[in-house]
Amino acid sequence: MTAPTVEFTDERLPNGLRLIIDEDHLAPVVAVCIWYNVGSKHEVEGKTGFAHLFEHVMFQGSRHVAKTEHMALVQAAGGTMNGTTWLDRTNYYETVPSHQLELALWLEADRMATLLDALNQANLDNQRDVVKNEKRSSYDNRPYGQWLHKLQEHVFPAGHPYHHPTIGSMEDLDAASLEDVAAFFRTYYAPNNAVLAIAGDVDPAQARGWVERYFGAIPANPAIPPLGDMSLPATIGAEIREVVEDRVPLARHYFAFRAPHFGDRRSDALEVGAQILAGGKGSRLYRRLVREDRIAQDVAFFSLGLIGGASMAAGQATVRPGVDPDIVERAFEEELARLGKELVTDDELARARALIETFELEALQRVDERADRLAMYATLLDDPDMINRQLDRYLAVTAADIRAVSAEFLIPENRVVLTYLPAAEIAGQETAA
Amino acid sequence: MTLEEILAVRPSPGLPRGYRFPPFERTILPSGMQVLTVHVPGRPLVSANLIVRQGASDEPAQFGGATVLAARAMTEGTQRYPGLELIEASERLGATLHAEASWDAFAGSVDVVAPRLRAALELLAELVLRPTFPEADVARLRDERLNDLMQARAEPRRRVEQAFASALYTSDSPYSRPAAGNEETVPRLERSQLADIHGSLLAPRRAALIVGGDLSGLDIPRMAAEVFGSLGAAADGPVDGAVHAPRAQSAVDRTTVRLYDRPGSVQSEVRIGHPGLARNVPDFHAVQVMTSILGGLFNSRLQMNLREEKGYTYGVHAGFDMRRGPGPFAVRTAVQTAATAPAIAESLAELRRMRDTRVTDTELAIARDYLVGVFPLRFETPGAVVAALGGLFVHDLPDDELARYRPLVEAVTAEDVQAAAQQHIDPDRVAIVIVGDAAAIAADLEAAGFGELEIVREEIPGDGDVGESEEAE
Repeated sequence: MTAPTVEFTDERLPNGLRLIIDEDHLAPVVAVCIWYNVGSKHEVEGKTGFAHLFEHVMFQGSRHVAKTEHMALVQAAGGTMNGTTWLDRTNYYETVPSHQLELALWLEADRMATLLDALNQANLDNQRDVVKNEKRSSYDNRPYGQWLHKLQEHVFPAGHPYHHPTIGSMEDLDAASLEDVAAFFRTYYAPNNAVLAIAGDVDPAQARGWVERYFGAIPANPAIPPLGDMSLPATIGAEIREVVEDRVPLARHYFAFRAPHFGDRRSDALEVGAQILAGGKGSRLYRRLVREDRIAQDVAFFSLGLIGGASMAAGQATVRPGVDPDIVERAFEEELARLGKELVTDDELARARALIETFELEALQRVDERADRLAMYATLLDDPDMINRQLDRYLAVTAADIRAVSAEFLIPENRVVLTYLPAAEIAGQETAA
Repeated sequence: MTLEEILAVRPSPGLPRGYRFPPFERTILPSGMQVLTVHVPGRPLVSANLIVRQGASDEPAQFGGATVLAARAMTEGTQRYPGLELIEASERLGATLHAEASWDAFAGSVDVVAPRLRAALELLAELVLRPTFPEADVARLRDERLNDLMQARAEPRRRVEQAFASALYTSDSPYSRPAAGNEETVPRLERSQLADIHGSLLAPRRAALIVGGDLSGLDIPRMAAEVFGSLGAAADGPVDGAVHAPRAQSAVDRTTVRLYDRPGSVQSEVRIGHPGLARNVPDFHAVQVMTSILGGLFNSRLQMNLREEKGYTYGVHAGFDMRRGPGPFAVRTAVQTAATAPAIAESLAELRRMRDTRVTDTELAIARDYLVGVFPLRFETPGAVVAALGGLFVHDLPDDELARYRPLVEAVTAEDVQAAAQQHIDPDRVAIVIVGDAAAIAADLEAAGFGELEIVREEIPGDGDVGESEEAE
């Protein structure tokens, strides 16, 4: 059994916009996904959080679309939409009934071409407040909420573009002027810095005509600043440890490792290794820490899939009450070390492959996921056809590959251990702005 | 044409492609168990769900959480596949095998490619028919649930949900506690309770196997008969297949404000509501349109007011959790601490406006068009189709319920929407439950005069304070 091939066209408009179309008429549904090659890694010191703030500003209207009307038009068309921001990129997507495709394309074009016409101090202030509340909801008012930020700080040194979180600094957001925000838009929200993917029930010739019509005359930005050198030593060099006493009910360890970047063959081996380590109840960490030793409440291991210089692999284990956190740490680390010493069994590898195959098949059923992956592979690897080769790459990973990548990266000298411990009493919590 | 001229003209939609919810076929096995099959061409990944119309609301009150725990324990080994062998066998097929229970139903499920469906169904049958509930694993899962409850107590957004449920319903109503049980009931759960629950689940007239995907060349009813034919064979006597609503007595006779103190909290988690509606409510479609306008759409009234105008919150939602019995109606949001009382006042004002005035033609059109248009998007994959058919079975809805969903939504009028709000939302009798910083907001809440204010100071796991409750004037 293999996943069906995704057939697509891949071209560039004269202004540099990359257009990918994947035609599939199974359901009367079409997905539009646009990836801008701008993420928090493009932000400079003192101006963090801009990429994410933009994700909000992009829904505040453009010359021909009123504030929040983007959502109203898409939902009235029977569609769904959203945007997300990550270290490497920002994306926006709409999934609509197929007869509403032109509307989705027009909406994306209008904001790419004319967003600044609608940007004003009131919108900016309002969305700054919304983002501050997003920060409170997603990070500050949540147990263990800062874990990813802390791991980023440790795995990527100060000054590296992955060092700071996507939500940014509230001081930087407060200091942002309208002109700062406009300059950020003019720099990065240009057609030659974007990939537009369309997947689903679409007539490619008609869709291409609409894209040329609405996007074709948007001027390119010939002066997109190149990213600085993001290269790093392959490993951290020495173990980094941090203990946080916080308002958490159970102790928890987070583990992080500098890892090969997304697209590196070794990252495929690490993904398959992660499935064997912590993918479900049949996995090694679950079996030992949760089921047999009964020292952990839950376990996880995963990769962040970053493209610049290096990526991060991370794991976690929540410590059962009454258990010494050190015992959990040791057991977790022993399992990582074992992966670098012994070959995984044929049965473990076969189970991991079979599951990964099902997960890929499951994901590629949906038009929104296909559009997103096509745009992702085009943006990050300049290779949208990876959508058809990634599964084969996972299936080609051998036990020796997993052992090699684990021995190279899942080692103490490349490790961050972040431990949350329940605080008996917490004084002087930060107060709301 | 210039770019400006091109963008100044809004495109109009093309001709919609026809859509109908995939038709399904029903077979009834000799035992009385139903088999629903839905052929979705071109989808090689098949979803199979074994649903039993019996859930957490049907279990004895003192053993609250037994059904959810039984479902969790069913993947811990069976007679033929002890321990993790069941999970390993399913992984070898690339199949994802799950079991879970909700208020309304038990569901065992497997997703697998069509050629391996038969083998996967046999594993699903093992899980459903022959779990062994090993003593030690039951104890571990019980402890995991207790630890999870501790985590829930510490996390504001989970703490507020539990507190809200207990404010809405009398303590003898199942919905007043979490479906997976609470600190009182979970410690009582032993192997024998789970085995009892499991025995009662094997009732063929309350069970259905629902299979969806590209089923070309597969005889699903025959497979079902071979694999699940013995379901219920051991049960003595006929079992009632009807749908029962559990006791769900409202504890909300006036507006009250209950504030769980979190000193130093940067946000307040807020829930406002009262017991709501069961799934079989006659004006279901009008309620869907009404709640979309109130708090369902991205641009709902609540969201436009609290987020886009005031900037109080990252998001606010409102709606009915429809179960076999009347689940909660709730407005849910997290707001910056200083905005707590104003956000509650605005939310209550939006509830009143929903009753007092008719929605505009534009609001009505957007909500109806959204619900009608998004319907095919929701059912792109077999898994979603199978889940929707599971809902039909659990609530004993007519076979054409999904097929007629879109015309019935299209027929909803502004009068229907207002009537639904007047009939089902009562802004003068709500429970308001907050997890937030009492020192910062109690005075505002008092001054706002929403209702009697009770401040609960409780021990927060990971903190250190001792719990007590005090009444404020």
